[in-house]
Amino acid sequence: MSLLEVKNLTRSFGGLTAVNDVSFSLEEGELISVIGPNGAGKTTLFNLITRFDQVDSGQIIFNGEDITNLGPELLVGRGMARTFQHGRVFGNLSVLDNVLVGAHSRLSAVRPRIPFPLLGALGETLLALLRPKRVQEEEEALRAEAFEILALFNDRLIPRADQPTYSLSYANRRRTEIARALASRPKLLLLDEPTAGMNPTETAEMLELIRLLKNQGITILLIEHKLSLVMQLSDRVIVMDEGHVIAHGLPEDVRHDPRVIEAYLGHSSQTSRPESELEEDLQVRV
Amino acid sequence: MKLHRASRSVGVVALLALLIIMLSSCGSNSAQSSNEPIVIGVSGPLTGTNAQYGEQWKKGFDLALDEINSKGINGRKLEYIFEDTQADPKQAVVVANKFVANEKIIVELGDFASPASMAASPIYQRAGLVQFGFTNSHPDFTKGGDYMWSNSLTQDDSAPLHADYVHALGLKKIGVFRLNTDWGKTTYDLFAQRAQELGIEISAVEAYLPEEKDFRSAITNIKNSNPDGIVFISYYGDGALLAQQIRAQDIHLPIVANGSNYSPKFIELGGDAVEGVYLSSNFAPTDPRPEVQEYLKKFREKYNEESDYFAAHAYDTMILIAAAIEKGGATREGVKKGLETVKDVPSVVYGKVTFNTETRRVQEPVDVRLVIHNGNFEVWDGSLPASSASN
Amino acid sequence: MNIFFDQTINGLVIGNIYALMAVGLALIFGTANLINFAHGSVYMAGAYVGWTCVTYFGFPLFLTFLVVMLFCALLGMLIERVGLRPLQNSARIAPLLATIGISFILDQLAQIIFSPQPLALPPLISTKRFSLGATSIGVLDILIASVSLISGALLYVFLRYTRMGWAIRATAQDRDAAQQMGVDVNRVNQVTFAIASALGGLSGMLVAMYFNVLTPTMGFQAGLKGFAAGLIGGLGNVPGAIIGSLLLGLIESYGVALLGSSYRNLFAFVILLVVLVLKPNGIFSKGRQLPPEPMTGTFIASSKPVQIPRSVLIGVSVLAFLLPIISNNYWLSVFTTALLYGILALSLTLVAGTAGLMSIGHAGLLAIGGYTSALLSLRLGLPFALALLLAACVTAILGMLLVMPAFRLRGHYVSIATIGIGEIVSLTILNWESLTGGPVGLMNIPPPSLFGFEFYSNRSLYWLSLVLLLGLALLQWQLVRSHIGRTLRAIREDEVAAQAYGINLNRYKGIAFAASGFIAGIAGVILTHSYTYINNETFNNTISVLALTMVILGGRGNIIGSILGAGLLIVIPELLRDVLGESFIVYRMLLYGLLLVLFVRWRPQGLLGTV
Ligand SMILES: Nc1ncnc2c1ncn2[C@@H]1O[C@H](COP(=O)(O)OP(=O)(O)O)[C@@H](O)[C@H]1O
Ligand SMILES: [Mg+2]
Repeated sequence: MSLLEVKNLTRSFGGLTAVNDVSFSLEEGELISVIGPNGAGKTTLFNLITRFDQVDSGQIIFNGEDITNLGPELLVGRGMARTFQHGRVFGNLSVLDNVLVGAHSRLSAVRPRIPFPLLGALGETLLALLRPKRVQEEEEALRAEAFEILALFNDRLIPRADQPTYSLSYANRRRTEIARALASRPKLLLLDEPTAGMNPTETAEMLELIRLLKNQGITILLIEHKLSLVMQLSDRVIVMDEGHVIAHGLPEDVRHDPRVIEAYLGHSSQTSRPESELEEDLQVRV
Repeated sequence: MKLHRASRSVGVVALLALLIIMLSSCGSNSAQSSNEPIVIGVSGPLTGTNAQYGEQWKKGFDLALDEINSKGINGRKLEYIFEDTQADPKQAVVVANKFVANEKIIVELGDFASPASMAASPIYQRAGLVQFGFTNSHPDFTKGGDYMWSNSLTQDDSAPLHADYVHALGLKKIGVFRLNTDWGKTTYDLFAQRAQELGIEISAVEAYLPEEKDFRSAITNIKNSNPDGIVFISYYGDGALLAQQIRAQDIHLPIVANGSNYSPKFIELGGDAVEGVYLSSNFAPTDPRPEVQEYLKKFREKYNEESDYFAAHAYDTMILIAAAIEKGGATREGVKKGLETVKDVPSVVYGKVTFNTETRRVQEPVDVRLVIHNGNFEVWDGSLPASSASN
Repeated sequence: MNIFFDQTINGLVIGNIYALMAVGLALIFGTANLINFAHGSVYMAGAYVGWTCVTYFGFPLFLTFLVVMLFCALLGMLIERVGLRPLQNSARIAPLLATIGISFILDQLAQIIFSPQPLALPPLISTKRFSLGATSIGVLDILIASVSLISGALLYVFLRYTRMGWAIRATAQDRDAAQQMGVDVNRVNQVTFAIASALGGLSGMLVAMYFNVLTPTMGFQAGLKGFAAGLIGGLGNVPGAIIGSLLLGLIESYGVALLGSSYRNLFAFVILLVVLVLKPNGIFSKGRQLPPEPMTGTFIASSKPVQIPRSVLIGVSVLAFLLPIISNNYWLSVFTTALLYGILALSLTLVAGTAGLMSIGHAGLLAIGGYTSALLSLRLGLPFALALLLAACVTAILGMLLVMPAFRLRGHYVSIATIGIGEIVSLTILNWESLTGGPVGLMNIPPPSLFGFEFYSNRSLYWLSLVLLLGLALLQWQLVRSHIGRTLRAIREDEVAAQAYGINLNRYKGIAFAASGFIAGIAGVILTHSYTYINNETFNNTISVLALTMVILGGRGNIIGSILGAGLLIVIPELLRDVLGESFIVYRMLLYGLLLVLFVRWRPQGLLGTV
């Protein structure tokens, strides 16, 4: 059974169809990259899958469950976590607190499962105020785990764990965001351009990290422009343009697909240029 | 560095505040000598939305003090300390504590609005300092304790007199605009009771909020109830607005307003629209009584303007308090005793004032029936309004 | 049928008047992203300048309008220069506090210069009226309608087809992006303030002509109505503001026709809330839409909160307990008031600071708490302690339920919705006479008492308030450092990201408002029982603004800061009383406003910093 199945997803804004009849499925443990020029609809696709945007038509099935109409806050508990293209860390919270917020859905001692929302909220408040031993232990355990996650980023984040994230460099904010996503223990991780704005060293580090996560068995859907990274990591690649999936397959195949080249170079295709030049061009243009 | 500076400044502010507290706790302890002035505390609005009334009070008080201090009370001068509360309960309470702590103050006047006055009442009552709420028409104000006194009118007596005037004008069916405050509601209830006794039908009532300026829709409601006259239970500012907007709607029904509309501002703000408006007032410029004529003359001389109801009432109150002090002695208890025992103190508003020691209120205010004619308040000559005759 | 027609005309006429105000507010809101509390004061200033032109200089009407607009444009530029520009790079809330201070200064200046008495304007234009059904419209009505339509149209053209207009729209959409594209944002703000204030001043003059009356405090209520009208049309949307104003006028007019005058505002605010619930961004907003992702690097570096050592806190608390020994009764009652308002500020800082939901309706919570316990004591004879507890719980539940419809709103929409909710509470109290006594209120409310001991004296009331304040502050501290505090701050920083991590926004906003209601309810109970009397005006909307001022002054979300803010704002006006003496007392609120403006310049992030 596929972990994620997307069937005929469509979403338009006014006259513009940002995602047009997109279908694919993602197997457990797999890493699929979504590439395509700016405005192709990649982020919109992410927003639809993570339920921040309403679909016009189509269906999303996650882990055997139809999630097409769920609210966005219900997904993380089911094992789906994401990052955002421009980075959305909680600026005035410390790095550690950001990661702990990521673990929110895993709080159980302090969030009693009471069916009535009013009573549940009351119970949660009282537990937070009284702080019984179980609650303290849970908080301690999550804290320890958060430090373990921060350690994945070598010494980039650990020394800054108590600093507010607005004081961090751009790259470190992106790392914090990934750490936050990991704190939810996701089955499926959606990364939207995780290396945007990073220099080659930082990109290489990110590549290693994603490889590590993949090896740990996390299924990953990745939006990425840096093709070398995509080629090294992906099991499959989906290419989008103007809302459509224009190519879908193994990295090597997709790379040589004339439709992809055309999409990237604009529709007045010049096929006479050597491929190495094309790859550079892909990086420059997108 | 910056944080350091900030926290230090905060500390300095806190220290300063503390110092002032300590200083002020040692003050005001000097013994009273026989020719020191007698001091009255006034708690009322000098800033904020109700500042206009505080200003009128001051005019009335100052005029009365000129008169009182020309003779003096047993050789001593009378003065007042006016503390601004903006008619806000939280400030009125604080000011009450300030007055109570100041032993020189032997009686308090105010506050302007009932929520402020009545929040401060327990403090005055406990301290045994008379709170003379001279504008507090709330029916329960004087029930706050035996130190709560008031010569405010518009209550049991003046509202029925207003209804009597309506009756005398031959109006059978009226629409009423009333201010939706404690004052407006109580006055209206008393008015309506009397109106019913007189067989006057109230076809519609519109209770408006104090800050309301636009009455078009309410006027349409009143108009559609087909009354043959319109009654205002309002203050002069709203009254003038109402009259203007009623006349602008081409409605020429007779208007009968209550006494708190008596103010030159009513005519100034209302312009042509208030021409012909009937007023059930408590005093009139044409009232031949010497105290009224004397007062109006002196007011004109001092301020170069006409007195309104609020200033006249403040003037009256100061004269009354002086009489009570003279009678009972210049102490807190003396003022209370004085108020209990004064008889027939001359008054612009009432003619003569005597208190009912049970209710601690004044009985039987004077009623003058006025009509606005050529931009002046004139005594009504008894002629019936044209439209009520034709209806 | 005829009544309907008449009330429609009435509604359109008054809607016109709101429109003049709403257009300027919409413009400023759009570009500077600021609720401009000083706008009402500019409106008032316009009326007084116009009055001076007419009565002193005898200017003709057209010249008067020009002078009014010029003066107010300059005034607007001045407000931008002192209230907004120096605070551009500090917390977004700082300019709001500055505009509150400026409005105090302007209102008080008018009172000092022109006296607090209402002034009349001589009739300036023909009073000819045209009959329309049972009602009629005058030349002035037509003039006002033309002014609002023409200025709306001119603004539209200006915004659409000029370079400056383009820059204003770009700034409104994304300030940082506009700046990067070379737009001089300061100049844009200046022009916006000039235009909006010129319109605001003109509307003040026109309204003064319409009602033939000017008062120094005429701006505040007009401002509230302007906000409400603008909100219905969608803030920052000029044509929307005009249509929203007309709709508000119509709604009110039909409300009066159906229920009578005293339901007018109740009707208006309830409709406002309904509109917000159905269309959270105004009725002209486009349908479902994800808010744009924030651009990178736009975080406002709020400074680190000032850390106050525990020893100092304990020391101050001990001193506070000892204070009654040295202080006189007057200062003791000042400090008691400060403590009780400290509880209110504590309550507000939880929602406005920690959770970032800027509530301007907190006086409503005081009123709910006060009335509940007063009624429980008077009608059911419950002992004080029980009444206190029940009232706090009722306030928590009602506070949460009332604000629930506003949970899906963002930013300034929350503020305006809570203004509406505060008004709804106060108007319900006014109109529900059988329960609340209406304007006559409730009296003989017993003083606070525990186990037979009555907190009558100033000292005992002070100690009671101090114990409650400290206890509630400790509870709130415990709450804020738990996962709930973390979650609320995450919601404040970024609702979308918070949702992505499984945070149920409604649940935590609900918890925040319930906790806040519980705390504010207690303050309301103690205040009410110490006053022994309460009516619908006891806790009015100026208290809501005061509470917000306290919170911003102390530093948002900062527990100690909020208490400090409350202390300063209660003590300073009392200090000024003694410092100024009787003859200068009228300058008290002027200085208070000035101090606010200076404070916010000095520490825009609040005295103790945002947490
Ligand atoms: N909320 C929205 N409203 C209108 N248009 C949108 C919205 N979100 C995205 N779009 C449009 O949809 C298209 C796809 O955008 P996006 O998914 O962000 O592209 P990508 O991530 O591939 O660069 C773009 O043309 C964009 O302008
Ligand atoms: Mg994208």
